[in-house]
Amino acid sequence: MLRWLIARLGRAAAAAWLIASLVFIASRLLPGSPEQQALAEAGDLSRPAAGVLSAANQAQNRLALRRRLGLELPLFYVTRSPGPPGRWQWHGTANQYHAWVVALLHGDWGHSYRDGQPVLALLRQALVYSLPLAGAAAGLAVGLALALALYLAQEPGGLLRQVVFTLLSALQVMPLFLLALGLLLLLANPDFINILPAAGQGPADATRWQLAGYWAARAALPLLSLVLAVLPELTLPLVALLRYETRAGYATTARAKGLTAMQILRRHALPNAVLPLLTTLADLLPTLAAGVVVVEVLFALPGNGRLLAEAAAAHDYPLVVGGVLLTAGARLLGLVLADVLYFLLDPRLRPAA
Amino acid sequence: MKVALFSSRPQFGYWLALAWLALLAGAGLLAPLLPLPYAAANADLQHIATPPEWSAPSAHYLGTDSLGRDVLAGLLAGARRLLVLSLPAVVLATVAGALAGAAAGFWGNRGLRLPVAVAAAALAALWWGLELPLSSMPYWLLGIAIILSLVSWRLYRLAARWLSFALPLDSLVLGIVTLLGAVPRLILLLVLVAGPTPTQAQFLGVLILLAWPDAARLVRGQMLRVRVQPFVEAARASGLHAGRIWWRHALPHACRPLLAFAPLSLASLIALESALAFLGIGQGPDIVSWGSILASMRQDPTTWWVAAGPGVALLATLLALQAVAKARQLEVNN
Amino acid sequence: MRYYWLGSLFALLVSACSTPAAKQASTPIHIRWARDPETLDPLALSNPSAIDAINLLHLALLQVDFQHNKYAPALAQDFPGVRYEGDSLTLLDYQLREAATWDNGEPVLATDVDFTLKLMHCPGLPNENSRAQYGFIRQVRIDPANPRRFTLVCRSRSAETASISGDFPVLPEAALDPAHTLRSLLLATLQDWPLSRSPAPAVAAVVRRYQQANLARQPHNLPGCGPYRLASWQTNQELHFQRKAHWWADKLPAAPIVLQARPQELVFSVLPDDAAAALALRRHDIDVYPQVPARIFQQLQASQAARQELVFYTHSSYDILTVGFNTRRAALRDRRTRQALSRLFDPVRLLAATQLGQGTRTVGLLPPSSSFYNDSLPLPAYAPAEALALLQQAGWQRGADGHWRQPGLATPLAVVLRYRAEEATFATTGLQFKSAAAQLGIPVTLLPAEGSVTTAALQAGDFDLYIRLIKGSPFGLNFATILHSEAIGSGNFTGFGRPDTDRLLVAISTEGNLARKRQLLRRFQAIIQEEMPVLPLFFLPYRLAATRQLQHIVPSGLKPGYAMTALAWPAAVPPASHP
Repeated sequence: MLRWLIARLGRAAAAAWLIASLVFIASRLLPGSPEQQALAEAGDLSRPAAGVLSAANQAQNRLALRRRLGLELPLFYVTRSPGPPGRWQWHGTANQYHAWVVALLHGDWGHSYRDGQPVLALLRQALVYSLPLAGAAAGLAVGLALALALYLAQEPGGLLRQVVFTLLSALQVMPLFLLALGLLLLLANPDFINILPAAGQGPADATRWQLAGYWAARAALPLLSLVLAVLPELTLPLVALLRYETRAGYATTARAKGLTAMQILRRHALPNAVLPLLTTLADLLPTLAAGVVVVEVLFALPGNGRLLAEAAAAHDYPLVVGGVLLTAGARLLGLVLADVLYFLLDPRLRPAA
Repeated sequence: MKVALFSSRPQFGYWLALAWLALLAGAGLLAPLLPLPYAAANADLQHIATPPEWSAPSAHYLGTDSLGRDVLAGLLAGARRLLVLSLPAVVLATVAGALAGAAAGFWGNRGLRLPVAVAAAALAALWWGLELPLSSMPYWLLGIAIILSLVSWRLYRLAARWLSFALPLDSLVLGIVTLLGAVPRLILLLVLVAGPTPTQAQFLGVLILLAWPDAARLVRGQMLRVRVQPFVEAARASGLHAGRIWWRHALPHACRPLLAFAPLSLASLIALESALAFLGIGQGPDIVSWGSILASMRQDPTTWWVAAGPGVALLATLLALQAVAKARQLEVNN
Repeated sequence: MRYYWLGSLFALLVSACSTPAAKQASTPIHIRWARDPETLDPLALSNPSAIDAINLLHLALLQVDFQHNKYAPALAQDFPGVRYEGDSLTLLDYQLREAATWDNGEPVLATDVDFTLKLMHCPGLPNENSRAQYGFIRQVRIDPANPRRFTLVCRSRSAETASISGDFPVLPEAALDPAHTLRSLLLATLQDWPLSRSPAPAVAAVVRRYQQANLARQPHNLPGCGPYRLASWQTNQELHFQRKAHWWADKLPAAPIVLQARPQELVFSVLPDDAAAALALRRHDIDVYPQVPARIFQQLQASQAARQELVFYTHSSYDILTVGFNTRRAALRDRRTRQALSRLFDPVRLLAATQLGQGTRTVGLLPPSSSFYNDSLPLPAYAPAEALALLQQAGWQRGADGHWRQPGLATPLAVVLRYRAEEATFATTGLQFKSAAAQLGIPVTLLPAEGSVTTAALQAGDFDLYIRLIKGSPFGLNFATILHSEAIGSGNFTGFGRPDTDRLLVAISTEGNLARKRQLLRRFQAIIQEEMPVLPLFFLPYRLAATRQLQHIVPSGLKPGYAMTALAWPAAVPPASHP
C-alpha cells in the first residue's frame, strides 16, 4: 500500500509539474502580451504630451518593459523561428522556462508582473479567505446532499418530495451569478430584507468576538450561494444511484430479512452509491478553494478565484502559473485521496498504480 | 409493510415530458417560419430592458433584455440553437467522457499494453507534426514501427511480453481532467479560440472539451467497482479479449449513473454557454441562445423577466429529460 | 430557514456595535472603486484607481482643478512662463512654492523635480508609462541663485506643453539618493542611454534602493508631500487614507482648490460588481459611487427610497464612443463607401437607448463645448437613403443575388465589426448597425472578443470596422496619436494618413495662435467627416450617485469624475440629532 501511495503521489507531482509547464508555455503564446496590458493604451487622446507615439517609439518602450519582466529571453530550450521557413533553434539554459524551473526548485514562485510581490505571498493572502469558505461550503454541501438524497430516494411519490426534487432541478438550472445575485438582492437589500452584510470590513473599533461575528455574518451569503450551487449536482445523481442500488440483489435479500427501507438505504445502498461519486467529492474542496469567481466578485471577497481571474485578464503569467500549479497539485492530491478512500471502503477496488 | 422504494408511477409525467420535448423540437425547427413581430437578433432601441407587455398587438410579450432584444424571439431562436448545438454537445460530451472514464477505470495505469510499434509510429507522426530537423529520422521510426508490428504479429506471445509497453491511461485521463479544471477559464478559452473566429463545429468542439470531465469522473468511479464484479471476473476467466469485456460487459454497467446525470449536464452546458457569451467567445450578440439571454442579465440584474423565460424553459426541459431518463432506467431494470 | 436565523443572529451581533451614527467631520468617507489599485508605485501609473491614490499621497507641479476642468498650480507657485528656443524647443520657467515641504520639514526644491524626472528614465523601474508621457522633457535647468526656480527644456512646440508638463508626482531626492549621486548625470544622458549598455553605478544604486523600498505595496517608505498617508490596505478589499495632521498647505493663507483636503479619512472599498455596489450605496456601506452605469443609475433614480437618501449628478465626459474604419481594406478604400457605412449608425437612438440620452453628440473628435468645435458641420445621423446613394457613387452595384459588388473586387461587400465583449453599449451599437446594414443587403459579422484579443487584432489590422472608446481630455489637442501615418501600428488602427493630413495634425499640435488654431481644427473636423477614418458617435456621460448628507460634491467630466479631496460632511451637526 505504501509503495502504491508513493508511486501515486510521485505521479501526481509529475502531472502537476507537466500541467504548470504547459500553462507556462501556452500562456506566453497568447494574443495580447503583458506589456500591452501594462503600457497605457495606444490610440487614446488623453495624453497629448506623447506627441506622435510612433510605432518605433512604442517598440522601444515595449522592449524596456520586456527586459524588466525578464521576457526578452527565449521561451524554451528550443524555439521555432517565425516565418514560413520555420527552423528550430537551440538556446541552451538561457531561457525563461529554465529560469522558472530553477527558481521554483529554490522555492521562489516568481513575482507578479503588476506589483512585483512574491506569488506565494499573494496566493497565501487569498487562501486565507478562500480556504475556510470552501471548507465550510464543501462540508455543508456534502452533509446536506447525503441527507437530501436519503430523503428523496425513499419513495418516488409524495408531493413534498416532488417539490424538493423540482426545486433542486431549478437550482441546477439557475446560473451561479443569478443565484448569488438573487440572494444578494433578497437578503442584503434595504428595500427588502437587509440582515446580512455583503461588503466592507468589520467595524473599526470592534472586539475580536464582534469581528468574528461580523465575518461569520459576512460569510453567510457567499456560503449559502456556494452550497446551493453545488447541492443539486451532488444530490441528484446520488438519488438515482441510490434507487438503482435498492433494486440490486442484495437489497432484496436485506428486505427479506425484514430491514426497513431507511435501513437498507443507509446501511447497504449508500456505501455503494457513494463510490462513483467519491472522485467528485474529493474534487469538491480543491475546486471551491480554487475560487468561484462570480461569488467572490459579487460579495467583494478577496479570494483565490478573483486573484487568478484578474491575473489571467492582465496576462500576469507568474501569478497564473503559480495558481495553476497550486490548484492542480491540490486537485491531484484530492484524486489520490479518493483512490485511497476507494481502497478503504472496499479493498477489492484497489486501483492499479 | 410493503416496501415500495421505487414503483412505476402512472405514465402521465412521462407523456407530459415527451410532449414538452416535442414542442421544443417543433419550436426549434419552425423558429424561422413563425410570424413573430421581432427578430431575435434585432435591438429595439426604443425598448431597452422593458418588462413584458401584452396590450399592443406587436408588443414585446416577454419583454426585452438590456441590449433591446426581444425575449420571446430569443427563446425560440434559442430552442433552435439548443437542438443544433447544446443537445449534440451534451450527448457527445457525455459519450466522450464515458468512454474516457470507463477506459481509465477499467485498464488503470498498467492494464492496457500497446505494441511498441504504436509508440514508434506516434513518435514519427510527432516528428512530422513539429517539423523537426533530420527529416530522414521519421522514416527510420516508421520503418521500425512496421518491422516491429510484423514481428509482433508473427510472434504474438513474445510481443505481449517484450514488444509492448503499458499506457498509463488512468493518469493520462485524470491529468487532462485536472488540467482542464485547474487552468483559469479565461486562459483556457484564450488558448482554445486564439486565432481566427471559431466556426460552429469548432465551437461545438470547445463545448465538448470543457464539458466531458464530469461524465468521465463519474464513469471512472463506477467502473472501478464494475471491473471487480463477479461477472467481469468470469468473463476474464473464460479468456475473452479485454476490449470485448470492456465494451460488451463492463461499459453498459458503468454507464448506468449517466442516465440520471446527462440531463443535469445540459444545465451545466447552458451555464457554460452563458459564460462564453458573456466573454463574447464563439457567438456575437446576434446569435441568440438561452445561455446568451441569461448572460445579458449581468448587465442589468433587476430584469427578472429576462431570466424567467429561458429559466422556465430550461427547467421544463431538464425535468422532462429527467422523467424520460427515469422511465428508461425502469425499462432497463425490468 | 436555518440560515435565516443564523444570519439574523449574526446581523444582530453586528448591528449592536454599528448603529448608524451621525456624521462628524472625522467620519471616514467611503468611496467605491471597481478594482484594486494593485500597485501604488508613483512611477507606474497603471490604472485609474492607482492614479487617484497616488494623487492623494503625492503632489505635482500642476494638478487638475475639477471645478473648472483645467490644470492649476499645486507645488508650483504659478503657471510656468513660456519661452521658445530655436524652432523645436519650449522653455518653461517654474517656481516652487516657498511653503512646500516634505513631512520632515525639508523644503521641496528644484533638485527633487530633476531627480523625479531622472527616475523616469532609470532602467529596471516600472516607469515605462511615465517615460512615454514625460519623455519630451529633455533637461531641468536649475537656477543657481534660487533653488526653487528651474526651467524645463521641452522638445515640443505644442501650445499645450506648459499645462501638461507638470502633472507628475514629485518625489523626494533625499530619501532615495541622499548622496546626490544622480545630480552629476544629465537627464538627456539618461534618456539616450542605450538599452544594451549596463547602467551607470550611480543609477544602479538608486534603482536598487528604489526596488528595496517596495513602493508598489508600501508607499509609506517614500512619503510624499501630499495631504494623505496610507493607513491600511487590504488587497482587493479596502484602502484607508488618513489626512496628515500637519500638512504644509494648511498654513497657506488662501489655499487654491487643488491644495484643499477636507476629508479627515478616505476609505476606498473595492467592489467589483456594479449591482453589488449599488446595494452597498443603499446600505450606506459606501457614500460615493462614481461612474455609475446607465441602467443602475436609472434604477436608483426610479426608487423612491433611494431618491430620498441620495443625490445624483451627470456630467459630460471626454470619452468618445467611436467607430473606426480600416482604410487599408480594398472594399473600404473609397471614402464614399466609408461614408455610406457611417450613415447606417444611429447616434440619436443609440444615445437614448444606452446612455439615457445623457451624452453629447458631436461632429468630430472635439466636444461641442470646445471653442474649436466646428458648428457648421452637420451632426452624423442615421440616413439609409444617403447611404444607398453613396454606395452607388462609390461604384457598388447590387447583383441579382442581393450582394453588393464593385468592379475589380473579387468578393462582395461584407463587413466584420470588432469590439470588446462585456460592454453592453458596444453590443447594442453593433446590433443596430447590423440590422440597418441588413436592410441594404450588406452582411455584417459581429466579432466581440476579450479586451486583449480585440486590441491585438486592431493593432494587426485584422478588422473592417471597430467600435471602441477613445479617452480624451480637454488639456491638449493632439490627434496625431490616432490619425498620423507614423502612428500606424501603434495608436492609429485605421491606417489612415496622407502627407497633407499629417502636416495638418502636426500644425494643430504646435500652433499657438488661437485664431489660426481654430481654423486648423475646424478644417480637421471637416476632413474627418469627409474622409471618415473614424466616426465619433457621441461623448459619454459620467454619472455619480452619493449620499445626500455629503457636501461639496464637485462632479467633473475628468477621471475619477469628482473632486475627491473636496468632499466633506456637514460642518456642524445640530446637537438635537445626537441621542
